[in-house]
Amino acid sequence: MKRGPVSVSYTTDLSAVRAVVHRYAVAAGLSDARAIDLVLAVSEVAANTVRHARSGGRLEIWQGTGEIVCRLSDGGTIADPLAGRRQPSLDDLSGHGLWIVHQVCDKVEIRSGAAGTTIALHMALHAGDGPRHAP
Amino acid sequence: MPGTGPGMLRDRRARVRAIPRRSAVWYNKCVDLLTVSVTARESAGHPYTLVEVGGEADVTNSDELHRLLEGEAAAQPRMLIVDLSGLRFMDSSALHALLRVNRSLDRQGGVLALVSPQPAVAKMLRLTTADQLIPVFGTVAEAAVG
Repeated sequence: MKRGPVSVSYTTDLSAVRAVVHRYAVAAGLSDARAIDLVLAVSEVAANTVRHARSGGRLEIWQGTGEIVCRLSDGGTIADPLAGRRQPSLDDLSGHGLWIVHQVCDKVEIRSGAAGTTIALHMALHAGDGPRHAP
Repeated sequence: MPGTGPGMLRDRRARVRAIPRRSAVWYNKCVDLLTVSVTARESAGHPYTLVEVGGEADVTNSDELHRLLEGEAAAQPRMLIVDLSGLRFMDSSALHALLRVNRSLDRQGGVLALVSPQPAVAKMLRLTTADQLIPVFGTVAEAAVG
């Protein structure tokens, strides 16, 4: 059964954000491993809100055709169009967040401008929903 | 850890070592979702510091986690073992706290070891290849013998 959309505002309560995403993902049929992946990704994007945006953010989750989408919006700006596309070295103490997002999600859409940033994270609901990365 | 410079930590450690066998908890600290407790222990005559981390570590408490771990590293333990079995979640900010402490210990000839990460934490370590830099063990006993 398709689940209805969920929308939550957040500031620094990232634990609550993670709980909402995990609950939704598991109920929608995502495997445990991929539900963890989605939680990791959403938490990293929401952490960027805490780090860079001057106000809170909004998370919307919905179930599309064969996928779950989490869309996070905030007032921050991402200047680097390739943010998260290159693997940072372990000596870099930043830049891992968006890189992880790109690693675990099936599709990532980033729109960023003066008005703010919107990032949509897509996770496909496969029939035998297995982890994309070997454990 | 109010009022505890490195010197104070060493003093405390000396007191803890005087207690026969295994130690007392130095402190329990709770920062929002994060709990950290630290004990001095010994395995086959080799002392080590055990830090047990529980809850969830993310950008909202990673500075505090870093401060606590760096405080332990400042006491120059031969080995700092971080038991992650109680940690349900770790984001990249918390990972950076571990990486920084690893660097501090490395510079002074000490070793950081991680124990028993839960799936979400293990995934973070694997994705970033941090688990190839910092040794990860199944149990504290295994970590203690290196």
